[in-house]
Amino acid sequence: MGIRCVMKIIIAYEGKPYTIEMVKDGSKNKVTINGDRSFNIDSYDVRSNSLTFVCDGKMSSAFIAGDRERTYIAIDGEYYVFDQVKGTKGTTADQKGDSVASPMPGLLVKIPVSPGDKVQNGTTLAIVEAMKMQNELHSPRDGVVKRINFKEGDQVDAFVPIVELEAQSNAIASLPPN
Amino acid sequence: MFKKILIANRGEIAIRVARACRELNIKTVGIYSSVDKESLHLRYCDEAVDIGEPAPLASYLNIKRILGAARETGVEAIHPGYGFLAENPEFAKACETARVVFIGPSSRALSLVGDKVASRITARGVGAPIIPGMEMVGVNNADFQNKAQEVGYPVLIKASMGGGGKGIRIVRNDGELLESVEAGRREAKSAFGDESVYLEKYIERPRHVEFQVLRDSFGNVVHLGERECSIQRRHQKIIEETPSPALTPELREKMGETAKNIIAAVDYTNAGTVEFLLDADKKFFFLEVNARVQVEHPITELVTGLDIVKRQIMIASGMKLDVKQEQVVQRGHAIEARIYAEDAENGFLPSPGVILYLKEPQGPGIRVDSGIYQGWNVPPHYDPILAKLIVYDESRQGAITRLISALKDYTILGIRSNLGFLKRIAESSQFKDGALHTHFIDENTDALMPRHAMLEMALVAVALKSTGSAAVPATMSGIGSLTSTPWQELGEWELGAS
Repeated sequence: MGIRCVMKIIIAYEGKPYTIEMVKDGSKNKVTINGDRSFNIDSYDVRSNSLTFVCDGKMSSAFIAGDRERTYIAIDGEYYVFDQVKGTKGTTADQKGDSVASPMPGLLVKIPVSPGDKVQNGTTLAIVEAMKMQNELHSPRDGVVKRINFKEGDQVDAFVPIVELEAQSNAIASLPPN
Repeated sequence: MFKKILIANRGEIAIRVARACRELNIKTVGIYSSVDKESLHLRYCDEAVDIGEPAPLASYLNIKRILGAARETGVEAIHPGYGFLAENPEFAKACETARVVFIGPSSRALSLVGDKVASRITARGVGAPIIPGMEMVGVNNADFQNKAQEVGYPVLIKASMGGGGKGIRIVRNDGELLESVEAGRREAKSAFGDESVYLEKYIERPRHVEFQVLRDSFGNVVHLGERECSIQRRHQKIIEETPSPALTPELREKMGETAKNIIAAVDYTNAGTVEFLLDADKKFFFLEVNARVQVEHPITELVTGLDIVKRQIMIASGMKLDVKQEQVVQRGHAIEARIYAEDAENGFLPSPGVILYLKEPQGPGIRVDSGIYQGWNVPPHYDPILAKLIVYDESRQGAITRLISALKDYTILGIRSNLGFLKRIAESSQFKDGALHTHFIDENTDALMPRHAMLEMALVAVALKSTGSAAVPATMSGIGSLTSTPWQELGEWELGAS
């Protein structure tokens, strides 16, 4: 007598969600990705940071570690970072394109704009330096600078708005820089 | 020989120097900024001194604080490593004044070669071919505009006090010129504490080939052969090898002799590297002298069997060079891959943070010079270099397969690293063919991006990890125990029996 157990998980890779379904039916394990790609797991062994599994007759070894926001996997020398689906962290311009933030923690080296300045899509609003690399943060749209939350020389965290733009009711959809 | 020295650096190079000191029976003093209190290099030193705030200008570039630490701890010499103050003549001068031996060239030699513009003039003086460009630091906008017009675009803006690829920008037209000069100055100021930049002609698709030179205070000089460092991203080397697939014994001798002449012309002592560009016709141009131990020095150590860092210390202590040119033999092939905390698939964006898991490769012909440990929080204030993987084998082909194998064995999780990217370079047919040039990465970007062949297996791994061990039975009690694992936070499980 086997108990059939279905588990489903949704995670994101490079912004794209993946649904993984695992069915345990007695001693059989099957993993299905996005409802169409199925893999039979012949056996598997999970340790604290490593796991070995035989999938459709082929053995793989992976290393895995995670924190609250992400899961990191190394498999055959390739790396995958999966994000938890909840939340929208990871973009440097917010949803409406009303502000810019740095994608990494660093030193705010330059803010070439002031409140009230008219800026265009692509104008450099701030320059943040981390690990000796300077990263320019560009305006996601045309607009007017409303507020600057930091000053040059400040240390800024990732994803915290640095420069805010006046809200625009008819704002064009924003795109993250780079 | 010295009894105690201070290592004015951090990370893997501080550890490399500390190891050499241990083997020479010299006590070491490490320094750290407040954010580096838990850094690995301090565990290799006998003493440690806090030298201030995290910003490089307040700590690792702070001459006063470092010399203060040297005085307090009574050291006889300072090893500067690479980067930071390694090529700063003011620092060498301050050491000379404070009667502490600077393990490197004299402040005078440093001024002559460390200044990229002055060194071009020196090189020309000994008959070395140089790249067309400025013969003095650019002061005003017109200097840059006029010289760019004269040599023709594209041009490079380079930090005069620079090195390690920092502060270099390619400019392809007039419109970008002045903005690049300003950006180059900012970067130079931050990285080297000096904002001088100059301009030179940009040579398309060259190889970067450099020669390691050692010279003692008695005028004895040898070169230890070349290193090919053509695999670069953002003008910074990431894979280096020796011997270069491009050199013939004749060309090697000619370039090696030129390198020695440049070093001797400025009465340079200690270890130094003379960098050249080699164009498609195998014509070479003097690029610059790197007046320090290079990041990539280990590959030379592996093929020559000579310890460069120990010889730096021995030369600085006044000892005579113990090796003659005819004794230097390159044997086998060595490759180094630099492990950086960066997102190689996303513009090489820096990736500081906590290392959740670390496994370093081992085995025959594998050397890891590392500055990290599991659980350490990599700070955002400094260079993204984490470690160096150096492999050695009898042939280039053997070294490449060993590199691929070692990279697959190397695991860093919790931050993004360039490990996968390095592996794909090593696996590429272009790299195996040895057809290298400094735009290798830019021109092969598509081939070097992840193929996602393993994405599905990675997703399978997530699912398996999320269920815990296979030993856990698929019953409700077994599932219940899952709620205490962090993997719950991956997403929402839907449990159901049917």
